[in-house]
Amino acid sequence: MRKRLIVLSVPVVAIAAAILASTSQGKTTHPQAATAASGTVTLTGWSVGTTEEALLKQVIASFQRKYPKIKVKYDAIPNYDQAMLAKFSARKPPDVFYLNSEKASTWIADGLIAPLDKYISSTKFSTKPFYPRLLAAFKAKGHIYGFPKDWSPLGMEINLDLLQKAGAKAPTTWAQLRSVAQKLKPLMTGTAKPLCLSAEWQRALAFVYQNKGNVFTKGKPTFTSAAVRSAMNFYVQLQKDGLGDTPAKLGAGWCGEAIGKEKAAIAFEGNWAFPYLPDTFPSVRWKFYPLPKGKQKATLAFTVSYSTSPASKNKQAAWVLITYLTGKTGMKLWTSKGLALPARSDVKVNFPAPSRAPLLSEARYAHVWNWPAGWDKVWTVGNNELSAVMEGKESVSDMLSRIQSEAQSAK
Amino acid sequence: MAAIAKRQRGKTLESEGLKEALVGFGFIALPIVSFLIFFIYPLGYAAYISFFDWGPLGRVANVGLGNYREAYHDFLFHKALKNTLLYTAVVVPSQMALGLTLAVTVNQALRFRTFFRAAFYFPAVAGSIAITAVATYILASDGLLNSAVGAIRGTPYTHSWFGESSTALWSIMGLNIWTTSGTMMLFYLASLQSIPTEVYEAAAIDGARTWRTFWRITFPLLKPGHFFVAVVSVIGSLQVFDQAFFVSGGGGGPNYSTMTIVLYLYNTAITGTRFGYAAAIGIILFAIIFTLTFVQRMLFGRAEVA
Amino acid sequence: MTETTGERLPPVPAVVAAEQFAREGEVAVGTPPPEIPGRKGRLRRLIVYAILFCVALLFFIPFFWDVTTSLKTLPETAGFHLWPKHPSFKAYDNALTTFNFKRYFANSFFIATVVTLMNLFLSSLGGYAFARLRFPGREVLFFFVLATLMIPNELRLVPVFQMLTDMPLVHWHLIGTYQSYFIINLVGAANLFLMRQYFLTIPKDYEEAAKLDGAGYFKTYWRVMLPLAGPALAAVTILTFQGTWNDFFWPLIVFLGNEDIFTLPLGILKFKSEFNTQWPELMAASVIAILPITILYVFFQRYFVAGVTAAGVKG
Repeated sequence: MRKRLIVLSVPVVAIAAAILASTSQGKTTHPQAATAASGTVTLTGWSVGTTEEALLKQVIASFQRKYPKIKVKYDAIPNYDQAMLAKFSARKPPDVFYLNSEKASTWIADGLIAPLDKYISSTKFSTKPFYPRLLAAFKAKGHIYGFPKDWSPLGMEINLDLLQKAGAKAPTTWAQLRSVAQKLKPLMTGTAKPLCLSAEWQRALAFVYQNKGNVFTKGKPTFTSAAVRSAMNFYVQLQKDGLGDTPAKLGAGWCGEAIGKEKAAIAFEGNWAFPYLPDTFPSVRWKFYPLPKGKQKATLAFTVSYSTSPASKNKQAAWVLITYLTGKTGMKLWTSKGLALPARSDVKVNFPAPSRAPLLSEARYAHVWNWPAGWDKVWTVGNNELSAVMEGKESVSDMLSRIQSEAQSAK
Repeated sequence: MAAIAKRQRGKTLESEGLKEALVGFGFIALPIVSFLIFFIYPLGYAAYISFFDWGPLGRVANVGLGNYREAYHDFLFHKALKNTLLYTAVVVPSQMALGLTLAVTVNQALRFRTFFRAAFYFPAVAGSIAITAVATYILASDGLLNSAVGAIRGTPYTHSWFGESSTALWSIMGLNIWTTSGTMMLFYLASLQSIPTEVYEAAAIDGARTWRTFWRITFPLLKPGHFFVAVVSVIGSLQVFDQAFFVSGGGGGPNYSTMTIVLYLYNTAITGTRFGYAAAIGIILFAIIFTLTFVQRMLFGRAEVA
Repeated sequence: MTETTGERLPPVPAVVAAEQFAREGEVAVGTPPPEIPGRKGRLRRLIVYAILFCVALLFFIPFFWDVTTSLKTLPETAGFHLWPKHPSFKAYDNALTTFNFKRYFANSFFIATVVTLMNLFLSSLGGYAFARLRFPGREVLFFFVLATLMIPNELRLVPVFQMLTDMPLVHWHLIGTYQSYFIINLVGAANLFLMRQYFLTIPKDYEEAAKLDGAGYFKTYWRVMLPLAGPALAAVTILTFQGTWNDFFWPLIVFLGNEDIFTLPLGILKFKSEFNTQWPELMAASVIAILPITILYVFFQRYFVAGVTAAGVKG
């Protein structure tokens, strides 16, 4: 009996010893200095691919040269949201992190993001150069919760060769969009169509705004309003008339890929088409254009801010890093390669081709993709319904009613 | 030797039973403790917070059965439930059948047996990222499969397998059946090894042909294996998530066809930050899996000899 | 002990089979005797082999695709080309240098080995107990073990992460250490289940003989049951090693902040991003990652045959 217990206990003790022996080697962050910002700052973002990661590391290096007392520890995490929420729950968030405008309202409402007002006033950081619409996405109840680090609106990508062959010019109105698509139609072979129409509100909503419609008016959802309906009818009609189709039907994962594979001549995507298109489909000639105009000019914008959390350890140094990264020098360096567009109007960059002027010109009338807490489910329902409509299984009116009822009960 | 035997017989049954019980507990102690801490406690935690409106930083409000009532009326949850149950009903028998077929095949005294075993297990070996990437490629509307079909048919075939609601879920089913068949094959192989050759010899002497031998003798003898594969397969299928997430980008589309329970749980918790409601969904899922496993145990688990 | 025990045991069927079919080569318990050769048999066998080869090829297509993609350039991966125009190993070069590949590989190997060893020991010990030892609440506890398989990772994430950042009572900070992974993966319920099922099929004669020889429970387990469990142990080895090797959910969470202990899947994920996935590098890294498990598998799958034979012959 004794022998058995001894033999049994050996592996148990071994395992326990292994665990105990190295717990003392668990990492701890440096204690921060009481006054001047110093110490280690943790910066966390989502995985962006090796090129962007290298560029960000360059920006960090230049930051460290300017502020030698602050050490930056940068992590790029895949599956970002999940990891961040786990960290927030454990009260161990990083010092500086990305905040997606899509999530801003939710995370701010949950108390996960720290208001920056006292830092802004004490260091007299100027908020004026930021595009007001972008900054507004990170404001709540009069407080500022982050500064946008970059952004991109939705623009039009057009295949120049096909446009030339069709003898057309880039469309600037809804009517022209239809007529140019008609001219392109005979040139498209197989499953290809002139337009790529994503079955996503993150693209289609731009048309709603262009039609002077709004899905959220005065604090209430208005999916079933006339302007929304006619805009969505316009969008869906393009598919019904054979002028465009969803990426899946065209034979691509998304509209950027459709342009690259020449399954579409016109797509509605943003700056993220770069460097994807030149890297993956170097032989396709294309350019950015602003979205066509409906009753008014409008587009969607997607942006991300650098923010900090109330539970972050080194908030002083975090603020310094935020001001640098979203300051003129930092942002200029970050956006210099054209991988992202500057969120400040005082940052002028010489972008590599294609020209980004068409995208930047949309800043005045871009609507940031930013929704109240609980609307994530509304958009899940919305996109599923829209995909049903674009599979021909549902009418636009039914879709809008269903989304409206979902939005009305959003928590 | 005889003296030892005599001494053993002299021990009372009671102390023997007690010793056996203590040893039994001792042998399972470490696993049980680790399960208690890292599985049962989180389950209890989820059960607890399911009665609240719970955010990342903790309790927001007390809602009692509110989350469960919401799930009852939530059409998105119903879709997730329907898809998951359909998925399980198709995948489980298919996985078992395919796994068993492969196992029996490579169990024969064939030449190149090692090669076949490696080939059939291969999809399970490759990481899910690589497999899903390859699958999206092969099943794209202008991908390998459609090109092959088009070549055979003569006219181009451009159905988007993952992109159309009629086939999205079925494509995921096919993908997963294929991927995990290798693992099921392994389980059945291990099980097949416990069947003595005498059994086959006796059957051969009786003049039974291979197919008959298989159904009348091998198949029933595999009962512990069947039970294992069935239970593991059901439990795994009801928790399908990875492919649904990759294929739909998290949205569960197109047209709700790839929305599964765990995907809905993930969205509710991670995108919606509604931990309490997500926990309620998790508890409901757990209850479903538990019940189905219990039913299986009652129906098939009696093959056990205590 | 095994020697004396072996002498008194009923002859293992495999021994009989082995002696009888010694000339035919590798035949063991579980493998039906080879079919009688003959003209009709030969044709049937040819057809069977042909079908098998086709099926095996189908199973290999993705691997073939992985390899060809890894030899292409990024623009080539977008179109449908069976073979790259100018196959090059550049992607492998990039994959190996973008992150500390050797380190990640070593980490993967380390944690996979440790977790596999822990699982082999604990699941076989526990499986034996559940299969053969009588103790109160055994069935309930076993169901309890099964229940752990029914809890999705996403549901466990927050409480487990909270515990690992600050373990209650002992205040260990385990995030960013190897231990965090070991402690949450001590033993898998599926492995316990597998071992139990397998032990249930071993005839009781062996244990009774061991008992007559005065062997205690642990000795019976160690000297008698374990050697007989070759195939199941091989299955556990393969499954656990492969599962740990390819695991990215938990390493992503528990190794946060300490790049030195990252495993291969985390490295591979670096090549994946929403719009700019680097397919050749992703595939190159995946191909390299697949090789060790394939080797391990090929090596261990032979124990599906040799297990019981070895135990019997040892006597």
